[in-house]
Amino acid sequence: MKRRNHVVLLATLMSATAWGQEVSLYGTTMAQMWKQDTPGFDKATFTPATQYLGIDATKLGTDNLSLHLFGWGRTDLSDASTLEGKSGGYLNYGYLQYRFDRANAEIKAGRMTVNQSTGFEQIDGVSVRTDLRGGFSVSAFGGRPVYYKTVDPRNQTDYEFQRDAIFGTRLGWRMPKVGEIGVSFLQDGTKAAKDLDIPSPIDYTRKQLGVDVLITPATIFDVRGRTVFDLADHAPAAPGAPDRNKIAEHDYTASLKLGGQFVLSGNFAERNFFAYFAGTNLPSLFRQDEKDMFRGFGGSITWNAPSTVQIVADYRHMHRESFGDVNRAGGEIRWASSEKTFQAGVGAHWVNAANTKFVDPATPYRSLSHKEARAWMMTVKGKFSASLDGILQRYDSGNPYLAGMKNVYEAVASLGFQATTNLKMSGDVSYGTNPVAKHETRGLLRAEYRFGFAKKGGR
Amino acid sequence: MARNTVFKFIGVALGLGFLMACSLISPETSYAPTHPQELSAGRPMCSECHSTDVAKGALKPYASFDHTANFVKDHRFQANQDANTCASCHAQSFCTDCHGGKVPMKPSIRLSDRPDRDTPHRGDFMTLHRLEGKMDPSSCYTCHGRANNDKCKACHR
Repeated sequence: MKRRNHVVLLATLMSATAWGQEVSLYGTTMAQMWKQDTPGFDKATFTPATQYLGIDATKLGTDNLSLHLFGWGRTDLSDASTLEGKSGGYLNYGYLQYRFDRANAEIKAGRMTVNQSTGFEQIDGVSVRTDLRGGFSVSAFGGRPVYYKTVDPRNQTDYEFQRDAIFGTRLGWRMPKVGEIGVSFLQDGTKAAKDLDIPSPIDYTRKQLGVDVLITPATIFDVRGRTVFDLADHAPAAPGAPDRNKIAEHDYTASLKLGGQFVLSGNFAERNFFAYFAGTNLPSLFRQDEKDMFRGFGGSITWNAPSTVQIVADYRHMHRESFGDVNRAGGEIRWASSEKTFQAGVGAHWVNAANTKFVDPATPYRSLSHKEARAWMMTVKGKFSASLDGILQRYDSGNPYLAGMKNVYEAVASLGFQATTNLKMSGDVSYGTNPVAKHETRGLLRAEYRFGFAKKGGR
Repeated sequence: MARNTVFKFIGVALGLGFLMACSLISPETSYAPTHPQELSAGRPMCSECHSTDVAKGALKPYASFDHTANFVKDHRFQANQDANTCASCHAQSFCTDCHGGKVPMKPSIRLSDRPDRDTPHRGDFMTLHRLEGKMDPSSCYTCHGRANNDKCKACHR
């Protein structure tokens, strides 16, 4: 969306708040500071000031109409802290919502995130949903996709030409004592790369069909997941190349609750990149035009002890066809006082990446196998709050990716004061060491405020 | 003349279709837009209070919304099938804490005073993303969008 359209949308939506009988405004103002003195880089001082702002205005003339806005802006008070320059901002969402009294029906219009189809999309458009008789529900959305900048302006032109519209729909059927099945469709872009004045080899459009299921015959057991099929017309594969898989994704999670305290969970996921993604705008990151695939499986066991202790053990295996295998295993213990005024946690994980492949002949390759430990605590006493958080990653020595380091760590201490019901001030200091900065100290001041009546705004 | 007839026919068909669609809409009352009771701090277990019989009311399997450690890390299917259940307690901005699309800083920095929340990219993710992004680039998609954001330009060209 162009900047002037942002302004028009914001002005229109902001003016709507004047009609709201219940307006909630919540925000966070943050000021950070850190200095950079890294060999090979100019010395710099960074002091970005960031403002997050959200508005929920309900009862806009009618009990059912509401407005929801959230965005952020940043300006650098000294050197530019990002590649965008000394200032930046973004509207994460801004939409009007009408909720009907029946059938859980709703209409949204504006910028929003939709996840009722095969994936997770950010759109400028309209979204509708309603329950139907007999356990059915239907939802649909349409509009323009929200674009991110690409590196090459010509790519950006191609990208925005092809992704001219996005729309999707989902039909669900919920069956008593069985679960739910949904069928969804997504089309992102209607113009093909071949329609460009200068035909592009990269097709950014997607057309996908998804089937999602929930099977929960008893409250102690459920299986959730989805399979997504690629329906797009792709250029034919090279002669002799194997047929491309039309299944973009399988992703299934099963969960079993035992005796109210134990939860066993398992997940399996497989994604074929050529079918899952569309064309890349950063070829150095993703090359979906290559035949590549990710497969992962894992599980966890959680013990929710009655004494407010929670213990989790987890394992995950990841396999990527072009790079190899990674295994991650570990656990975490959490403890909270009965009033939740004190919480603490300790965790440890082992990541074995020894079976990853040599991919860049120009780089001396070492795996990023490591051990990770984390400990944290937070407490609230009256108007004061405090927290400590430390994380350590211990790698093999002599890894060329780590500038001679073995231990990479970060510790953060925070102290907060709830000045009033609506205002909280806090300050953080963090210290750490990593391959980019051997001694990294950062300061952060934060003011969080909330005015209005919303029960859930910003939570 | 013929064109008018066609338009009238299409108009009548659309009108009938709309009436049929309206008759299909559930007569059930919508459930509360916000949770009627204030919940205590921490991670709630919906099934402690809600009947988990999916045959009743809105047919919602509340037990699968229990905020277990696993649910906190992996709730995409619930959000996909039942986003309006999440909305009874959480504003959209809660999702935006992690799934913002484009954000000015890592969630773990913005929420550094909340170590209890499972924010992504804690610690030195600059090193770790070489591994995580390489093994499963599709995991970046949920938060950063299908084509990533322009922060990637720093190194990836």
